[in-house]
Amino acid sequence: MAEVVHQQAGRGRLRAMFGYEERSAIVFLAPVMAVLMGVAVFPILYSFYLSFFRMKLTRPNRTPFVWFDNYTDLFTNELFWVSVTRTVVFAVTSVTSIAVVALLVALLLNQNFRGRRILSTIILIPWAIPYVANALMWKWIYDSGYGALNGVLYQLDFIDKYMVWLGDQDKTIFLIANAFVWKEVPLAAILLLVSLKSIPSDLYQAARVDGATVWQRFFHVTLPAMKPGFMLVMIYETMMAIRHFDLFFILTEGGPGDASHVLSWHIYVETFRNLSFGSGAAMSYVLALVTFALSYTFIRTLGRKV
Amino acid sequence: MARIRFENVEKKYANGFHAVKDLNLDIRDKEFLVLLGPSGCGKSTTLNMIAGLEEVSDGNLLFDDELVNYTPPHKRDVAMVFQSYALYPHKTVFDNIAFGLQMRKAPRAEIETRVRDAARKLEIEHLLDRRPSQLSGGQRQRVALGRAMVRDPAVFLMDEPLSNLDAALRISMRAEIKELHQQMQTTFVYVTHDQAEALTLADRIVVMRDGVVQQIGSPDDIYERPKNTFVASFLGSPPINYIDGVIEDRNGDGVKFVRGDLMLTLPEEIAAKLRHSDRREVRLGIRAEDVDEAAQGGEGTIIRGKVNSVLPVGSDQFLGFDFYGEELFFRVSKDLSHKVGEDVALSVDLNRLHLFDKDSGQSLLW
Repeated sequence: MAEVVHQQAGRGRLRAMFGYEERSAIVFLAPVMAVLMGVAVFPILYSFYLSFFRMKLTRPNRTPFVWFDNYTDLFTNELFWVSVTRTVVFAVTSVTSIAVVALLVALLLNQNFRGRRILSTIILIPWAIPYVANALMWKWIYDSGYGALNGVLYQLDFIDKYMVWLGDQDKTIFLIANAFVWKEVPLAAILLLVSLKSIPSDLYQAARVDGATVWQRFFHVTLPAMKPGFMLVMIYETMMAIRHFDLFFILTEGGPGDASHVLSWHIYVETFRNLSFGSGAAMSYVLALVTFALSYTFIRTLGRKV
Repeated sequence: MARIRFENVEKKYANGFHAVKDLNLDIRDKEFLVLLGPSGCGKSTTLNMIAGLEEVSDGNLLFDDELVNYTPPHKRDVAMVFQSYALYPHKTVFDNIAFGLQMRKAPRAEIETRVRDAARKLEIEHLLDRRPSQLSGGQRQRVALGRAMVRDPAVFLMDEPLSNLDAALRISMRAEIKELHQQMQTTFVYVTHDQAEALTLADRIVVMRDGVVQQIGSPDDIYERPKNTFVASFLGSPPINYIDGVIEDRNGDGVKFVRGDLMLTLPEEIAAKLRHSDRREVRLGIRAEDVDEAAQGGEGTIIRGKVNSVLPVGSDQFLGFDFYGEELFFRVSKDLSHKVGEDVALSVDLNRLHLFDKDSGQSLLW
């Protein structure tokens, strides 16, 4: 009897805290929450936990707790700093190119001309291709024996013999960036096109009456209005670029030498080739923090005057 | 000095839409001209052609006898105020007003004085550092006016500048725009669909419909002597009442308008004009305010009907009036107390009647 009363009191408290709608929402959301806990929250927390251990699968029975050693060791690890430099070069090159090319594409698609709709569909194709498929395609294009790039340049007389494009330490990272840009431009262009389309035509008319030339209208009306779009593109593409893995894995495996040894590749090698899970987890956390910090900076600087 | 002349101007769009048809219009120097009409009548297109934002498809557009068909907007010495205000959202109020001068490479000191001057006149000096998003609708409107004023243009163009403001603000801004016109002593061309705005502001009104000018004249002209039923209905609140009937000229006791029991003796002035036409079926127009208590009028002026609705509007009241199944609206003094359902007799001011051809809608009094 006393137990029943207690139960009722408990249920009453729950009822007081959540209304009917909230309670049914909890019921409906519970399954997906459970799945997310299993596949996202737990691994995230567990890898954070792992990052405080010296854990190497070659010595599975000796995993001492090492406090922040995995993190502090990074700063003395030469290859880690190489990978940071490579990542920065890759990210800066690709994000800049994506922003510029996407802007041009968006401006083009914002014009009225015959075949605009079909062109916008065609331009979207790279976006629909999976990263791995894109990487394999570019591997073929860059191929030293029968690649399209060699073929085209040779027939146009730009080169007098076939080149091992990805074997050139100075070019590799830029060629990979090129493949990345090709894949990312469509989405960026659509995002920019949306902000272009939202500019009222009155503003252009007012600027024309005010005597602004085409360029002045672009700098005083178009660009400022596209700021939110640019912010989104910069944040998203920077995040994509510094974490990108597929192209490096398929095209070069970090090589030649360490020419394309970026952070994500470094983490992969450390974790799955050296089987050093502790330091791999630590580096993943560094990468996540850097991504977060960059996004935050972008939002603060670009977002201030939007 | 700016006189604007349209000679047989046409505007056709690529999609085949014929926005303006054979427009002939002479806008005088320093005149306040209002283009009035429902949406899609071509009034904004006409304004945009003056601004140079739309190309003239055919005909000539002249500024002071100089052909400007192909002159770009910034070389026409025009300034424009847009319905949406079209303020640059990322620029401060100061830079918004200054932009036109900056583009014309005016010296910095001059820009500074002129912007401050305009801001003072419009009482927005304290807002110069703000951005448009931080302003109220009325303040934005002033900034838009300032942007146009500061360049001291020869022609001032306004495209429904008050339609985004609330009712009270609209009336006070109306007065300010009128004052601005007097101060600036330049040509104003003003587009609106609001008849009250047109009547209060204009020196002359151009009424347009489907790209065709219906009538050009002073506000009084347009209101008192509409050329057709479209113009007559477009101005006046509540709108003019129409009664279809016939003209009779029996046994020499004057020309009469007859519909059922209604028999109005037309004054000599109107009757004289009707003698020239053999039209017998006409449409009579009575403006809502052109009636009075029956006791005031004599035989041949009375209209009878049943009260359908009584709508007090403060100063007076609107009477909804059933007349042979049609609802007429009259504006009567609120001293008269009428009840719904009661029969009522009103006397019509015969000198203010309008008569139109029943088929074409053209006035028979012109």
